[in-house]
Amino acid sequence: MIAGALILGPIVIGLLLYAVPRSSANVARVVAAVVAAATFVLALVDPTSDASAHWLARPFDAAFHVGFNGISLWIVLLLSLATFGAALALPNAPRSRDLAAQLLLLQGAMNGVFLAKDLLLFALFWDLMLIPVFLVLVSGTAHGRVGWKYLLYNLVGGLALLLATAAFGILAGTTDLVGNPTAHVAIGTTWGMWIFAGFAFAFLVKTPVFPFHTWMPDTYAELPAPVVAVVSSVQSKAGLYGFLVIGLPLLGPEMSAARPVVFVLGLIALIYGALAALGERDGKRVVAYSSLSHLGLILLAVFSGSTLAYEGAVVYIVGHGLFSAALFLALGGVELREETRDLARLGGLGRRNPKLAGALMLGALAALGLPGLAGFAGEILILTGLFKAGFFWPAIVALLAIVLASAYMLRLFQGIMNGPEVADLPQRRDMTWSEGFAIAPLVAAFVWLGVDPGPVVAQTATVTQSAVPTTTSQSVRGPRKPNTVSEISSAVR
Amino acid sequence: MPSVNITYPSSADYAALLPAAIVALVPLLVLFVDLFMRRNGMVRRAVAVGIAIVGLVAAGAVLASQYPTSFPAFGGAFVEGGFSIVFSEIVVVATVATLLLSLGVGRDDQVAGTTALLLWSASGAMLMAGAANLMMVFLGLELLSLALYCLCAMSARSSARESALKYLILSSMASGFLLYGAALMFGATGSVQFSALVAATPTPLLAIGAGLFLVGLAFKLSLVPFHIWTPDVYEGAPLPVTAFMSVVTKAGTLAVVARFAYASLPSDRAGAILAPLWVLAALSMLVGNLGALAQTDMKRLLAYSGIAQVGYIIVALAGQTALGLRYAILYLAGYTFMNLGAFAVVALMAKEGDAVVGLGRFAGLASRRPWLAAAMTLFLIGLAGLPPTIGFTGKILILAASVGAGYAWLAGLLIVGTAISAYVYFKIVRAMFARVDPVHVHDERAPTALPWIVVGVCAAMTFALGIFPLTPSNVLPLVK
Repeated sequence: MIAGALILGPIVIGLLLYAVPRSSANVARVVAAVVAAATFVLALVDPTSDASAHWLARPFDAAFHVGFNGISLWIVLLLSLATFGAALALPNAPRSRDLAAQLLLLQGAMNGVFLAKDLLLFALFWDLMLIPVFLVLVSGTAHGRVGWKYLLYNLVGGLALLLATAAFGILAGTTDLVGNPTAHVAIGTTWGMWIFAGFAFAFLVKTPVFPFHTWMPDTYAELPAPVVAVVSSVQSKAGLYGFLVIGLPLLGPEMSAARPVVFVLGLIALIYGALAALGERDGKRVVAYSSLSHLGLILLAVFSGSTLAYEGAVVYIVGHGLFSAALFLALGGVELREETRDLARLGGLGRRNPKLAGALMLGALAALGLPGLAGFAGEILILTGLFKAGFFWPAIVALLAIVLASAYMLRLFQGIMNGPEVADLPQRRDMTWSEGFAIAPLVAAFVWLGVDPGPVVAQTATVTQSAVPTTTSQSVRGPRKPNTVSEISSAVR
Repeated sequence: MPSVNITYPSSADYAALLPAAIVALVPLLVLFVDLFMRRNGMVRRAVAVGIAIVGLVAAGAVLASQYPTSFPAFGGAFVEGGFSIVFSEIVVVATVATLLLSLGVGRDDQVAGTTALLLWSASGAMLMAGAANLMMVFLGLELLSLALYCLCAMSARSSARESALKYLILSSMASGFLLYGAALMFGATGSVQFSALVAATPTPLLAIGAGLFLVGLAFKLSLVPFHIWTPDVYEGAPLPVTAFMSVVTKAGTLAVVARFAYASLPSDRAGAILAPLWVLAALSMLVGNLGALAQTDMKRLLAYSGIAQVGYIIVALAGQTALGLRYAILYLAGYTFMNLGAFAVVALMAKEGDAVVGLGRFAGLASRRPWLAAAMTLFLIGLAGLPPTIGFTGKILILAASVGAGYAWLAGLLIVGTAISAYVYFKIVRAMFARVDPVHVHDERAPTALPWIVVGVCAAMTFALGIFPLTPSNVLPLVK
């Protein structure tokens, strides 16, 4: 019940927000923030919520099956916090009515992605979560070039996911499998690799990872800061979540087989992201490229085969979500005051805006991996896991990228806050209460997560364990095992 | 010489034909009543359209009452059963929607004629839905087409007459192909019954006949490469007629294609004979969507989009599985609602006598007419295959059926086509939601608000079918 409400509630209320006149954008903002806070509480009320309703019996079983698993609970909570902060940080402008509505639609659709326990439902929400972001992107400008890039990249990924889901359903006989450790699925090795390729493509584009990342810096730079806070904090985690919760249990052998390729892609993303972040002048793009780098590290963890690294991945997924949302909200505050994001133009803002400087500093420290904050907790778990699993050199390379993180994060902070004040830039007052309330929960959460990541990782191992029996004999692999085309077609007839 | 048993049609035969007969005879009433309508104006239009809608609803009710019992009427020439009933219902729904769109279009004294022609055309499609012999297919197809030639010309614009003439010439040629193919098949087997073709010894003559027959059908379906006429004809014809053609012609012809593929070919040769059809479907998905990329007129864009959408439906038939047929029908129903919904939105934006409805009209629609933009977004999202619509659900079911039937390559091409189509449909979504200077856009109001009914019903069905994809369960036995 509650899981269903977490999905439908924000969507319905988001649609209703369009009935609010554009002139009273403040009402829409407050409603969105209240809804986000309510979803946070609701998720905590019953973290074992699980509901299912029949959907399809043919050509494969599918159900409207939603519920929490040990990983999704934390991401849903993260999404509530990010949406809450984003709604509060919206400026009081006519466009904010639409943005508030779209934030709620986005929250509902993404809750659907993380709560879906059926692959088909997962694919449905996966495609659905594109639409609000596309609408935000095209409504901001007259040309919408960035919107196209975002939509086409992600839609092609979504279509690959759709085809893979259809093939998976036909082969396994059911898609009601996500987060079900007792599920036995029978995917032959030939089909398994194709299906995995479809899923992996969708997940890698969404994360994104090199070489599918080119939509990301543009999208992040173009989106209004509150929306990008949500997109970067949660939507970019959907692919990694997919690998952890769908890939590992259902397509474990294929994940191991793909490890070398993904490791190379992840390492390139790690280094390339860090170097690009060092060279960027646009504040939002610095954080965008730093995300590319951090998510590359999580990708290594997800493919490492080590439970410790999986736990680190979960901590880092939540932690990165928290501090990247905080960073983007703080950068939004900077842009609101100075009307530019160019690091070469900005400077000395900290003198008159100490609170804003503090918020940005906290986000940057978490991002560069200061011990005691969430970034460090995730990184240390991942690196230890990689070492223990025998991936010595990848861990060394990752360490190098983490050193670079200190450089680009400090450069970002110094470029904006330190130095002499720039005379020809506007000077406005420090953070408002609502801006402070937007960022404070995020900061509190990443401090807590840095100190005590235990509860977050308690359930990770049960979610990521393989549902595929380790015996290679086909005979134990569940009731239906059509592996050739003729067998499948006879099943369809 | 075999002995000839003459059996005379019984009342059950006529009862099977009743729904099509109602749709074919109501136009006479429409025309008769119109004779007494002295004064022009909305009343005269409303009477004609009202009678027609009542007739269609009656026909739809009769169809529903007959579902799903199967009866081979007239010696098996016309099989009334679940299969034909589902297709006929789609035709009836589409025709009612067209009438609602057409109320405000054309001259007062033409409305009765237009209405009558629409119904005659629809009755042709209903005959095709039940046709189980080659003669019946031809009869239905010609009834459908002849009325459409006139409908295309029903406009004062010269482009409409050009469109009608183009349609007449090319479509007649396709009918020739179809008839020639039918004659060859008759020559090869000595029978015009589909059921007799199944049992016939496969000969090259039969294969050639089947090939020509399929070419004729492919033209009517506007499958690539027989699609060149479609955008021009759609553009020239009055908007309601275009909406009608985009659904009813395709529904009637798809019924014939499905019955031909499932129940008229020797099973060991069906694969080889139908292989070109799958290739045409693959080409349609790619070329249709690529062609739509460049269009700036809404009717032309929907013409190309329809070419691709029919390709998706045919993919479901590949391998001739039972599930595939059900999903083809489901997707056809979904396409009917999405496409008619889109046309209804266009009708609400066009004014009388508009030659073209350029995409520029959609700029900033979301801020001017938010409800219309929201509905259009739903239809376009559905046509692009995104949730929460029947476009998404139907597509994944078609993918599953075609992968299961061993046609994974068609499923792959369907994905490629869909990816291209995203640009087509989202181009309009982008225009509607983009920030524009409102001064430049001149907004037109449609003469009647009736298309709103179509928009509402289609939007509800597009969403509802996406969540609850009902498929007719007992269709396959009734094809034969």
